[in-house]
Amino acid sequence: MSGPAANGEMRSVTSIDAAGRAPKGSSPAGSGRTAGRFRLGVPRLGTLNVGFAFVFIGLMILLAITADWIPGLAKPDVGWGDFHATPTLDLNGLLGADTLGHSIVSRIIYGARISLVIAIVPTLVAMTIGLALGMIAGYYRGSVERVVDLYANSIASMPPLLLLLAIIAATGASLWTMVLAMSFLQSGQYARATKGAVISHAGREYVLAARALGASDVRILIQEILPNLVPTLTAIVPPSMAILIVVEGSLSFLGYGIPPPAPSWGGMIASSTDVLQLFPYLLIGPILAIVLTVYSLNTIGDYMSARINVREGQL
Amino acid sequence: MTGSSESSGRLLEVEDLSCEFVSDAGIARVLQGVNLTLDKGSTLGIVGESGSGKSMLMKSILGIAPRTAKVTGRVIFDGVDLSTMKEGERRKFLGRRIGIVFQNPMTSLNPVVRVGRQIEEAGRYHFGWAKAEGRRIAIELMASVGLPDPEECYTQYPHQFSGGMKQRIMIATALACKPDLLIADEATTALDVTVQKNILDLLQTIQQDRRMSMILVTHNLGIVAGRTDETAVMYGGRIVECGPTESLFLDPRHRYTEALIGAIPRTDQPAHTRLRVIPGRPPEQLRPIPGCPFAPRCSVAEARCTESTPPVQSGADARHTFVCYVPVGTIGPGAAAATTTPAGASTEVI
Repeated sequence: MSGPAANGEMRSVTSIDAAGRAPKGSSPAGSGRTAGRFRLGVPRLGTLNVGFAFVFIGLMILLAITADWIPGLAKPDVGWGDFHATPTLDLNGLLGADTLGHSIVSRIIYGARISLVIAIVPTLVAMTIGLALGMIAGYYRGSVERVVDLYANSIASMPPLLLLLAIIAATGASLWTMVLAMSFLQSGQYARATKGAVISHAGREYVLAARALGASDVRILIQEILPNLVPTLTAIVPPSMAILIVVEGSLSFLGYGIPPPAPSWGGMIASSTDVLQLFPYLLIGPILAIVLTVYSLNTIGDYMSARINVREGQL
Repeated sequence: MTGSSESSGRLLEVEDLSCEFVSDAGIARVLQGVNLTLDKGSTLGIVGESGSGKSMLMKSILGIAPRTAKVTGRVIFDGVDLSTMKEGERRKFLGRRIGIVFQNPMTSLNPVVRVGRQIEEAGRYHFGWAKAEGRRIAIELMASVGLPDPEECYTQYPHQFSGGMKQRIMIATALACKPDLLIADEATTALDVTVQKNILDLLQTIQQDRRMSMILVTHNLGIVAGRTDETAVMYGGRIVECGPTESLFLDPRHRYTEALIGAIPRTDQPAHTRLRVIPGRPPEQLRPIPGCPFAPRCSVAEARCTESTPPVQSGADARHTFVCYVPVGTIGPGAAAATTTPAGASTEVI
């Protein structure tokens, strides 16, 4: 027996003696934070943040879906009030009206739709491509892996905004070219993350056990390994969605985003900057929308990865 | 012991099975010309220390050795040559005709799949079980391997079970398709002694009920002593001695077997008696060994032992074979000792 181990044993014995019983938190996990719902190693300070993040994202999704049925909400591309109207207490006028007299509240709510599409569609497409490439590369290794690595590394080595600009300049700006370009850009990252996780899982005994039961490679990949990739992927999805939203904002700001009059948050910022000194309040709405959305997504991502790390440790 | 007399015929024949890994450091010869036979309904124990190639032998037999391994030789299962078969064909035997339970129940189950699903999985693709049928069979199996409340277990995840319970689930998984051969590859090594006994008893009962053949791979002589019909001793990737378990324990002929049996702690000796050890270390796999792999550690090794591989000889019982130039009973200190070692008595049979 080594010294430190014996010491540790002694200490735990005395602590039981002193309290008359084992300390409450002395579960095998051994963490001091025990009480409450979020004891899985997620700091308690964060629970408020995390709660806010989930509520905010939930609200944005809800508004985006139900925008057409919100009573009294003006259409985003129909003039509603005076040019650059100052904020009023009216629902549509809460944040004022833009250079063309559109309600900013309405444009933010309808803009959430575009942000939702921008966040979800490229993520799904990129994840599908990345999963397929990463699983094949991680499972078979060899030359397939080198090809996939080359693919992922080439994408990662290019400045994403420049590449997007180039693609959009070549094909013309529209929502769907942007979605396709973003899918392509993000697929490398998913392929790489998937590959790493597959390599670590393919060597585990349960995969060998499945082979010994006569499972084919496809079956092993889909039935055995894929469910184990879910934690890895859930942790990277929210922050990459945040990046997508920021990128959309940047592109729109540069004038290569979704063409007006479609209400996109980035586009709203771009059109307001011309009159920034005269009507600074026009910027408040779209900037808050982007900042809070991105912040919430990143918070959710941190929360997910913290939970998942704990779970992996317990398995 | 199992009633091997009633069944007849070979179930498994392994001929000259070799396995090597080629790397930058050289060629690691993990298995070198292994020959084995197993009769229907009988139990074979394979003993050897860590690194002797026991697990690789099992994996090579099943054809699930790592892709980097070069496996040669023949594996004939129930008259069919598995080694020349296409992978897709061979898969039809795995899980369905041959089941295997691995060493570590903690890692052999997929952590994110419900255990019921894992048990019925093989049946789903071998027999096309529907959901309800798979569920019924899985619950039956879980009850038969002694899991309490199988209905509830069905929907639980592996981390909700203890090690012994997980190993029972692994056994249920291996048995799902009613295999003819069950391989327990160190199946009880990771469990504590009382659980080991329970699991081994369970395996034995199942084997007798189903008239399966079984291979018990272990480094624990006590496990094979009371539970197998035949025992093969592996060393350095070869089988150095093989024969009926009783004969092998009562009358070990290979020097390594003798040393192994001698190293078992004995309860009839006073406390704090020094345990007998085998001096030296197992052979390095990267260096080719022309002679007997045990020669460097053998107390009676002669010059020829390190130069050439001894021929296979058989003892009084023709089934008892060994590969040794100077077998126990010919010369040396072991000549008298061997006959006085009471095998069953001194071996703590688990």
